[in-house]
Amino acid sequence: MYNVRRLVLAHFGFAFGAFALALLLGEWQMIVRSPLHGWLDNPEHYYRSVTAHGTVMGYVFPTLVAMGFGYAISVVTLNRNLVGLRTAWIAFWMVVVGTVLAAVIVASGHASVLYSFYPPLVGNALYYIGVALIVVGSWVWVALLTINLAAWRKDNPGKKVPFTMYANVAGSYLWGWTAVGVVLEILFQILPVALGFKTTVDAGLARVLFSWTLHAIVYFWLIPAYIAYYTILPRAIGSRLYSDTMGRLAFVLFLVFAMPIGIHHLYDDPMVGSGIKMMHGVFTAMVTVPTLLTIFTIAASAELAARQRGGRGLLGWVKALPWENPVMLGVAFSFVMLGFGGAGGLINMTYQTDSTIHNTQWITGHFHLIFPGAIVIMYFVIVYDLWPALAGRALGSLALVRTQLWLWFVGMMILTIPWHIAGLYGMPRRMAYYDYTAPALAPDAWTVDASVLGGALVVISGFLFVYILLSSLRRERIAPPAYRFSEALHESPVVPRALNGFAVWLALMFTLTLVNYGFPIWELRKIPTTSVPAVYVGGGQ
Amino acid sequence: MNDNLGKWAVLAVVAMMLVGGVIGFVWLPRVVYSDQGFFAAWCSALGVPRSWAAFGARPVAKISSDVVITHELLEPARPADVGHGATLALRCTMCHGPTGISYANSPNLAGQYAVVIYKQLRDYKSGMRANAIMSEMARSLSDTDMREVADYYASLPRPAGFQLTGAAPAVVKWGAPMRNIAPCGSCHGDIDHTLASPWLKGEPRAYLRAELTAFASDQRHNDINAQMRAIADRMTPEEIDQAAAYYAGEH
Amino acid sequence: MSTPAQSAPTSAEVSERIETRWAIVMFALVVMLLAIVVYTGVHWASMPPSRVEVVDANTLHLAGEFVESNLGTGIDPRGNVTVHMVAEQYAFHPHCVVVPDGVPVTFRATSGDVVHGFLIIGTNVNSMLVPGYVSTFITTFNGVGERTMPCHEFCGVGHAAMWAKVKVVPLATFEEMARKSGRLSCV
Repeated sequence: MYNVRRLVLAHFGFAFGAFALALLLGEWQMIVRSPLHGWLDNPEHYYRSVTAHGTVMGYVFPTLVAMGFGYAISVVTLNRNLVGLRTAWIAFWMVVVGTVLAAVIVASGHASVLYSFYPPLVGNALYYIGVALIVVGSWVWVALLTINLAAWRKDNPGKKVPFTMYANVAGSYLWGWTAVGVVLEILFQILPVALGFKTTVDAGLARVLFSWTLHAIVYFWLIPAYIAYYTILPRAIGSRLYSDTMGRLAFVLFLVFAMPIGIHHLYDDPMVGSGIKMMHGVFTAMVTVPTLLTIFTIAASAELAARQRGGRGLLGWVKALPWENPVMLGVAFSFVMLGFGGAGGLINMTYQTDSTIHNTQWITGHFHLIFPGAIVIMYFVIVYDLWPALAGRALGSLALVRTQLWLWFVGMMILTIPWHIAGLYGMPRRMAYYDYTAPALAPDAWTVDASVLGGALVVISGFLFVYILLSSLRRERIAPPAYRFSEALHESPVVPRALNGFAVWLALMFTLTLVNYGFPIWELRKIPTTSVPAVYVGGGQ
Repeated sequence: MNDNLGKWAVLAVVAMMLVGGVIGFVWLPRVVYSDQGFFAAWCSALGVPRSWAAFGARPVAKISSDVVITHELLEPARPADVGHGATLALRCTMCHGPTGISYANSPNLAGQYAVVIYKQLRDYKSGMRANAIMSEMARSLSDTDMREVADYYASLPRPAGFQLTGAAPAVVKWGAPMRNIAPCGSCHGDIDHTLASPWLKGEPRAYLRAELTAFASDQRHNDINAQMRAIADRMTPEEIDQAAAYYAGEH
Repeated sequence: MSTPAQSAPTSAEVSERIETRWAIVMFALVVMLLAIVVYTGVHWASMPPSRVEVVDANTLHLAGEFVESNLGTGIDPRGNVTVHMVAEQYAFHPHCVVVPDGVPVTFRATSGDVVHGFLIIGTNVNSMLVPGYVSTFITTFNGVGERTMPCHEFCGVGHAAMWAKVKVVPLATFEEMARKSGRLSCV
């Protein structure tokens, strides 16, 4: 791990520590709004928890995992120490300080605005400053990856950028650019109000700026998982990556299409015209393509391994895969959840089908299936895979690891599938309590009970994960083999020039941003009458 | 996959933009807004703010209040304002008490939000809210007077040692979701506060009951957008009693 | 002179061919999905709220189409059934809406303070209400009876209580009611 061993451990450690706490909050939320629990005396507590849970799970946890994984990829694939180690540590502490600041403010009830902020609701300025610190810390990481890649290129002119690093940097650029939306919203709209310089805010413009970040942020979360599909799975199961080129293409397609499509979150909003919504819809359809390519490439890579192990038949080769390997199990579970979640995403993608379930519990069920489901299970796989190199310890019983993954998968399915059904029944989101005796809500009651059960399994699994890692530290040290990522089936020293650099894709990303977001933002800024009085939250007493 | 990939990619994206643009800005708007010209339909699809025809308002039959509630409505109180307000308030002490805590069933004003007091005075003066005594009182106050009186009372300490006794009744704690009644405290300050919602704790029971009943029967109608009328309307008389008793600190 | 034998395709070429075929199939799938979107947009006029209209959220109660006396259901000069609504923390006004069955109903709504949403369960009415902007939505109800209309966006601590009702009545009944009174609601 060169010089980043402790750096990566710190990132993962804080990430999963915060994750474990937020996990408990999530289950508490599910319990208190279910038929199993009476109505909360103070609904503000619920929204406080939702804000904390969302902020940690959305802004802190995946960011730190991506950062840590990113540093590890850099040193392993470029075969050199990280340039700027001290800066990396500063970035880490920025994220930590930002998190603690935001958490303290939220915990004291001064910023129950939810992680999506939703002005004109405005909380205490320190909460937003905390979030901004987290983002700025992550931007430092983006810069460091570029610096490290540039240093390597200088020493290796004209050589092919290692695939894993290429995907890593693509993901970092996607994040760097997509975070701009929420930073603009915080800097220019929310903080001036929270700090008292202004008293009005344009809610429509804020939603548009937030949507800039809101969609691609989930791809930022997803990219480490996809990197693991391409670069950890094949190696782990004794195979090779089916196609390096297709893999690169998938990641740059994400870079181009993931961000300028955020307005599909605003299909039902009144401040954006239908033509803009159609543009976003068209490009949202395009962002399904890299996932579809990935499914093929990864399945092909797995099939290679299976057939080498003697697998036969059109589908029978699946049985020959190394199922006792936690990486194989994790990826398979991830694919199942990605399949269901992706299908749900197709529903969300078009206006016509989206309007049946917009802002119902379907949406919450959907993103819990995709993110905590398909993606976080891959975060577990990544940490498990890197653990011997990071901590210098073996994982211990693989049966326990497999149990943890099984529990996560089963828990997630029980948690989220009924959750989708509740949305189909029209159950609205984000309510602290529901009257399950009312005819409109009575059909939904069982779904929430089921989600409580699924959530309990998920909590157990999450803590089991932490236990597995921590308990490994009590064992004696080992000297693991040098960590490496998968190799491609057909290694060639050359790739198409466009897939060895980022210029074309970045240019396309910026252009599409301009085309898809330029006019709405410019227009909304111009209108004076749509700035409405801020509603200060946490102002009781 | 060759070195022209970059060029092909740019061409493909441009093509997608054109196709999306034609569908979204030309074809679909022409079908849906067939009553508009090409340019107008294009602008509508783009999101240029326009007015949807023929939805003009009917003549205004009645309005609730002529006060526009914003954060700029009242400026931050200065000591001189509070002082002058105290002088003006001498005429209020008969009903509202020398310390803003009334002896009778007039509302306690001590520690009430300034915006609330100001709005009610404005409404009394304009006739949006009617009360034999208060309408007369308000008529003699200028706008500046009202602001200063409001600042003064807001600066006074709330009833000391006031304790809410007993558990809050269901309608106060949780409201009644299916009847669209929110917990009182979500606007009135116990849990969170919305601008121009009065602080209720310690108000006289009889006053709270009378006002809720007046809202329910439409007798009082100076609440903007009928916010309180809608709620009081859906509360049962028992719930009104319970809520009034709770906030007054009685059972 | 014999023609040189074709050399067998390399493994890399085979892989690339298979990949390319898959990519083409996937792309076709995506294009098909988009075509469905466009078709339903054109033929069923099922399009997102399309026009941007602004309104002053602070003075809704003073003048304009959202004054108190104009809220509720009415028949506009052109004979269209129109429902005017305002959403505020934490209620819809009117909180009980009357609509006729089987004819197009236009909803015009806005927010007086923060972002709200509204969803009429069992119908395709699903819209966001953003203060400063007017949301317009046209739908046709199919079936007499009562529907629930919750706010589905977080609007503050009282959000859980924001449930309104929609009563769908037969067209004849509605017309009778409209004859007697300009603005209808079941408040």
